[in-house]
Amino acid sequence: MKGLDLRICHLYPELMNIYGDRGNVIALVRRCAWRGIEVTVGALSLGDPLDPGRYDLYFIGGGQDREQMLVCEDLSTEKGEALREAVEGGAALLSICGGYQLLGKSFLTWTGEYLPGISLFDVETVGGDTRFIGNVAVRCELEGAEGVLVGFENHSGRTRLGPGCRPLGRVLSGHGNNGEDGTEGCVYRKAVGTYLHGSLLPKNPRLADWLILNALRRRHDLEGLPPLDDSLEQAAHGAALALVRRERRLPARAARKRSP
Amino acid sequence: MELRLAAAVAAGKATTWASRRLGLGAGSNFPGKVMLRLHPRAPEEMAARLPRGCVLVSGTNGKTTTSNLLAAMLREGGMSPVHNRVGANLVTGITAALAQASDLAGNPRGDIGLFEVDEATLPAAVTRLRPRLVIITNLFRDQLDRYGELETLARKMDGALGTLSPDAKVLLNADDPLVASLGKESPASLYYYGIECEEVTEASLRHAADSKHCRTCRTALSFSAHYFGHMGKYFCPRCGSSRPETHFSAVRVRPRGTAGSEVSLSTPRWEADLDLGLPGIYNVHNLLAAAGGACLLGLGREEVTRGVAGYATAFGRGERIPVDGRELFLVLSKNPTGFNEVIRTLKGEGTGLVVLAALNDRIADGRDVSWIWDVDFEELAPLPRHLVATGTRAYDMALRMKYAGLDPSRLEVHGDLKGALRAALERAREGETVYALTTYTATLDLRRLLSRLGAAPALWEGN
Ligand SMILES: [Zn+2]
Repeated sequence: MKGLDLRICHLYPELMNIYGDRGNVIALVRRCAWRGIEVTVGALSLGDPLDPGRYDLYFIGGGQDREQMLVCEDLSTEKGEALREAVEGGAALLSICGGYQLLGKSFLTWTGEYLPGISLFDVETVGGDTRFIGNVAVRCELEGAEGVLVGFENHSGRTRLGPGCRPLGRVLSGHGNNGEDGTEGCVYRKAVGTYLHGSLLPKNPRLADWLILNALRRRHDLEGLPPLDDSLEQAAHGAALALVRRERRLPARAARKRSP
Repeated sequence: MELRLAAAVAAGKATTWASRRLGLGAGSNFPGKVMLRLHPRAPEEMAARLPRGCVLVSGTNGKTTTSNLLAAMLREGGMSPVHNRVGANLVTGITAALAQASDLAGNPRGDIGLFEVDEATLPAAVTRLRPRLVIITNLFRDQLDRYGELETLARKMDGALGTLSPDAKVLLNADDPLVASLGKESPASLYYYGIECEEVTEASLRHAADSKHCRTCRTALSFSAHYFGHMGKYFCPRCGSSRPETHFSAVRVRPRGTAGSEVSLSTPRWEADLDLGLPGIYNVHNLLAAAGGACLLGLGREEVTRGVAGYATAFGRGERIPVDGRELFLVLSKNPTGFNEVIRTLKGEGTGLVVLAALNDRIADGRDVSWIWDVDFEELAPLPRHLVATGTRAYDMALRMKYAGLDPSRLEVHGDLKGALRAALERAREGETVYALTTYTATLDLRRLLSRLGAAPALWEGN
């Protein structure tokens, strides 16, 4: 794919990286490189200004409480506004766990600390007294990336979706957004929030490619991406799904659906 | 009460014997559970009968190596440690170890307790065992999915250290900012160990580093030297808090690849050049923790030096086992920092290596394998001419290596460990080394398989 280039922005890479979230950036970079797409990754951290026209794809991972508070403070400046502008302008975005929470409207922690979000996603999060921990399978409802997502969740936040965004998918096994309404993650325009670690994208290559394609479309006109040999990815996805099924006795019909 | 303890000890001995016969392996927590059910205060009563008291070794990494080294030094000093080994480091494991080392009345046959204690178990262990010395090696977030966040853990450990008696001692790793910040409210005396030479430092702080912020004011720490992970020399540019002065330090370290390192050790009373047969900078820290602990228990230069020289490699921490005319180099690699250190050591072995990588996700390994994406496998990728991935999460391991840049034609996946071992041995030439990088339970599995094949002594024989 000569002449194509993708600019990725890794937000707060040293603060917001927990449970291997940086594996998502590794997956995006490799899958571009294997297709001959020129890819650059910029890192923006505390105090660095964000130019909303510069990047095609943003990534922010999860973090511990302390790091999350520092990032919350940093995003409450014009930087949060710039990030929203970037998404409104057609940039793609993936946020995981703590990053997902900070891009919502607010996060009230279990210890009573109130963290205002940047309201990119119409979601609110409240900390719970127990953690949701375990392997997860989700039926992804994202147009162009339908299938089953596999990952690992580890969060105490309970996130509820408002009318301004839709869920990323429905929980087949695990807890998802709040353990009650069966939703997992959220989608607004080309921005995705989710609780799934794993890392998420290596074992869910269709979602990785959805992000790459939509990010490329910000500046390039193209139909789709040429396929890659994903046999190892599919084998890893299948093994993870088999594990979830063994653990939770997931109905066989859900697992028979095409893997992403 | 005496009878009750005797009954519990008898039950503990019987269940330990039975679980070994049944092949459940050493380090099972079952015997301890039975004992605590019969007599909830069994560990307290047995520990109180140890004339030289108890030593606790806690932290994320290095507990086993540190306490094995310290045990070797104590034996050189004429002491007879009661030691829980092979990672059986919960209260149940300690209870069972005490029973094993006791006569039927519950009188320990040793004179000093030396116990590896899980970070989260430290408060319970301090309350029950009233230790005279607590050693804390480091705190990494590999077990976060079990214990919540590091700060919460640090607060709990602070609470535990606060209940020590004023004549107790605490030995802390000065190179770990979070560990060095512990115990400020403790009535016990605080001592520190660390590396004081610059040659071993890394160019930049790795992304797998955990405690990079000042615990007092949350500002990012400035590092003047990095050893590995978040270990190094640091200070806080805002509040001025900095790495404490060390009492026990490595003033010179000369690494010799997988063969180990030469270390010049400095203590307040003496200095010594030691030949450490364990590879990696992390083992220099383990040596410092053990040597510092030995000094605080009253031992001198001779005992420490002889203890290091006569030390037999701790289980799975860099063992070389001959199999089928090849050599299996077995290294336990259970979290990002440990793995990065192992990879750094392997880089000294050249390229064209045969590697066996076993990733399990059992409870003792952590159910979440996301952490493999925090390991710099990109640096391992150029080294193998062939890599066999195995374990309960074999495909995750293989996928990680593919995305690290290893050509899939060099990659092989075997869910079954025996098949994986055979495949790796077949790829190696006569006399060549197969590098086995295995998570905790995978190390146990591989060890068990090797002993079935007659290649390695069973776990509870020998040391
Ligand atoms: Zn400070």
